[in-house]
Amino acid sequence: MIYKLLVPGPIDDVEQVRVLEWHVAPGETCTLGQLVVELETHKALVEVRAEHPAVLRTILCDSGQWVAVGAPMALLSDGADEALPDSLDALADMPLAFEVN
Amino acid sequence: MSAEAAAGTARIFFREAIARALAEEMARDPRLLVLGQDVGAFGGSYKEFTGLHARFGDDRVRDMPVAEAGMVGVGVGAAALGHRTLVSITYMDFLMLALDPLVNYAAKARFKTGGRLRVPIVVKTTAGAKGQGVAHSQCIEAWMMGVPGLTVLAPSTPADAYGLLKAALRHDGPVVFIDHKRLFPKSGEVPLADHVLPIGAACVVRAGTDVTVTSHGYMVHIALEAAERLQAEAGISAEVIDLRSLAPLDTGTIAASVARTGAIVTLEEGQLTCGVGSEICFRLGEIMGRMPRAARVGPLAAPVSSNPVLEGECLPDAARLVAAVRKLLE
Amino acid sequence: MIEPIARLRRMVLIRTVEAQLMARRDHGFQLYSTGEEAVAVGLCAALSPTDQLLSSGRAIGPALARGLDPAAVIAELLGKASGVNRGKAGRGHLAQPEAGFLGAHTVVAGNLTLAAGAALACQRAGEGAIVAVIFGDGACGAGALHETMNIAALWRLPLLLVCDNNGLSVSTPVARSMAASPLATLAAPFGMASATIDGMDVERVHTAAAGLIAGIRAGGGPAFLECRSERLTPHSSATRDTRAAPDLAAARARCPIARAAARLAGEGALDAAAFAALEQAVSAEVARGFALADAAPYPDPAEALSDVG
Repeated sequence: MIYKLLVPGPIDDVEQVRVLEWHVAPGETCTLGQLVVELETHKALVEVRAEHPAVLRTILCDSGQWVAVGAPMALLSDGADEALPDSLDALADMPLAFEVN
Repeated sequence: MSAEAAAGTARIFFREAIARALAEEMARDPRLLVLGQDVGAFGGSYKEFTGLHARFGDDRVRDMPVAEAGMVGVGVGAAALGHRTLVSITYMDFLMLALDPLVNYAAKARFKTGGRLRVPIVVKTTAGAKGQGVAHSQCIEAWMMGVPGLTVLAPSTPADAYGLLKAALRHDGPVVFIDHKRLFPKSGEVPLADHVLPIGAACVVRAGTDVTVTSHGYMVHIALEAAERLQAEAGISAEVIDLRSLAPLDTGTIAASVARTGAIVTLEEGQLTCGVGSEICFRLGEIMGRMPRAARVGPLAAPVSSNPVLEGECLPDAARLVAAVRKLLE
Repeated sequence: MIEPIARLRRMVLIRTVEAQLMARRDHGFQLYSTGEEAVAVGLCAALSPTDQLLSSGRAIGPALARGLDPAAVIAELLGKASGVNRGKAGRGHLAQPEAGFLGAHTVVAGNLTLAAGAALACQRAGEGAIVAVIFGDGACGAGALHETMNIAALWRLPLLLVCDNNGLSVSTPVARSMAASPLATLAAPFGMASATIDGMDVERVHTAAAGLIAGIRAGGGPAFLECRSERLTPHSSATRDTRAAPDLAAARARCPIARAAARLAGEGALDAAAFAALEQAVSAEVARGFALADAAPYPDPAEALSDVG
C-alpha cells in the first residue's frame, strides 16, 4: 500500500510551514514512532513521527521549502518495490503523530 | 511566489525579518543595544530576537526587569549619549507606562536643547487584539502621531518590517515601530540584499479606480481581503494604500489616489475618535479644498474583550469594510 | 585660588545669578537653587570633566556648578538666542552634554531612568566616566527611583544618585510624603553604598561625593547620597511660601554660603574684605552676563519649528 505523508494540522494560526530537516532518507524504513521530519512554524518546531512502519519512497519538499498545512510532503509504501502511482488523489494518508514544541 | 520566481528575495517569517534587520544593523553599528523583557536567550515573545543574544552576547542584548518606564528611560538615556538602542515593549498597552521618557524627553530632546542632543531610540512594540483582553490588545498609534518629534512606523509584511526597521535603526530621532500579534504567523518574500525603506512613504498595494482604502499594519490584510470581495460581489474597484509610516504621514500618495477615485474609506484597529482615519480625512479636506466622500472603519467604541465572541464583535473585519464602502458609494 | 574658595565663589555665583534674576520683572518661571548651592557645588567638585550630570528642573545651581558659562546660562533663562540652548530650554531643560551636563528634565523623577541609561553608555564606553543625577525628595516616592536603583544595582552601573532633600515637595513636608527615613535607606535593599549628610556644608558634600564616586569608579556599582538642604525661596517663582516666618528664619540661618565663608575666615584663608571683594567681582560678572543677555535677540520665530523631528 502507498501512503502520502501530509503536513499535519490543525496548528493554531499556521497555514504554511517550512521544512526544517528530514530524518529519514528515501529507501529507508521508518519504524513505529520514528521521527520522520521536523517542520518550522512561525513560533514552533513540529516533530512528525511515523505511526505505522513504512518505506520512505519520495520526498516532495526538501529542507527550506514552504508547504501548506494538509499538503503532501512525501510518499511511503509498505513494500520497497511497490509501483508509485501518477496521481496522489487516491492514496491513503500516512498514519502519523505530531508534536508542536 | 517561490524564491526562484522572485530573484533576489527569500521567503521568511515575519519574526525573521525583524531578527535579520536587527542582526545586520547590530553588525553595522557596534554600539547598537537591544533592551527589553525576554529579549535575551529566550529570543522574544514572538521569537523575533532569535539568534541575537547568541551572536552579540549579554552586553548588547539585555533582558530587563518588567519595568517599562525603566526600559525606555534607560534606552533613551543611553541613546542620548550616542548609544543607539532598540527597546522592546512586549505589548503596546504597556507603552503607556513608559510615555514620560519617550514623549516628555526623547521626542523633545533635540528641540529643547537647541539641537545639542539627539535620541536615536527605537521602541518596538506589538499591537493588536488576539484573545488577550482589554489591556493586552490596544492600538494606540494615533496617540503617538500627535507627538511632534516622534516617528511612527507600522509595517504589514515581512519585507516592510525589514526595510522599515532598518530605516528606524538609522534614524536620528525616536521611532515607535509597531508590529501586530496577527502579523507574526505571516511569511513573505524579503530582499536578500540590504534594503532600507524611506520613512514617510506610503505604498499602493492594490490599484483601483472607484475608492481609496487606507490602512496600516495587520489591517492592510483585511483591506486587501475586502477589496477582493468588493470586486467579486459588487464590481467595485478599490485601491488599497498601506500607510507604512503614520508619522510622518504620506498625504501626497493618499491625496493623489483620492483625486483619481473620488472617495476614501479608512480602516484601523485603534479607536476612531481622534484616530488615524480622522486625521487622514481632515488633512485630505485641507489639501483638496473640500471634504472628499469619506468614511472611517474601526473597532466598536468599547474595550476589546478576551472573549472570542466579544472580541470578534468589537474588531473591524472585511465584511464591515465592504459594507462601509458600498454604503459610501451608493 | 584654593579649592574651598573656588567652591565658595561658585556658590556665590549661583546665589547672585538668582538674586539678580529675581530682582527683574521679566524673571520668567523659575525654580531657584538658592539655599541648595552646596549640594550642586560640592557634588560637581567631585566630578571629572568627562562625567555627566543630570538635574531636575531646579537646574540653575547644577548648571552653574558644573561650569557652564554664566552669561550663556543667564541668556537661556531669559529666553535669548545666545543661550546655552538657543533660548529653547529655559531653566527646565538646560543641557550642554559636551560640558558634562547632560541636563535638566523637569518631570519629577523623570531624569532617573535617563541617568541610568547614560550610565550604561558610560559603562559600555569603558573610559571610566560616571553619571551623577540630582533629584529632590519629591522624586523618592516615584516608581522611577526604585526601577532605576534596581536596574543600576543589577548592572553595577556607574551612577551616583544625589537626593537634594530640601524637605518639601512644593508644600508637602517629606514626613508626609515618604514612609522611609532617612531617604538614603531606600538604597539599602539594592545593596548600594549610601550616606545621609548635611547638604548645607559644601565641604562635607564634596568629601562624601568624592568617597562614593571613588567606589563607583572602582566598579562598586551605584551609590546614593542624601543631602539634607534648605530651600530659601518658595518652590517656584510662581508659588507662595507656606512656611511660617520662624521656620524660614531657621532655614536662612543655615545658609551654606555664610557657613563656608565663616569657616574660611576662621581658618584665616579668606577675611571679610576678601570675601566682600569676591562677592563684588561675582556681582560684576553676573551683571555683565545680564547686560549681554539683554542685548541679545530673542530667537527668530522660525525657531519654533527647528530641530523638531
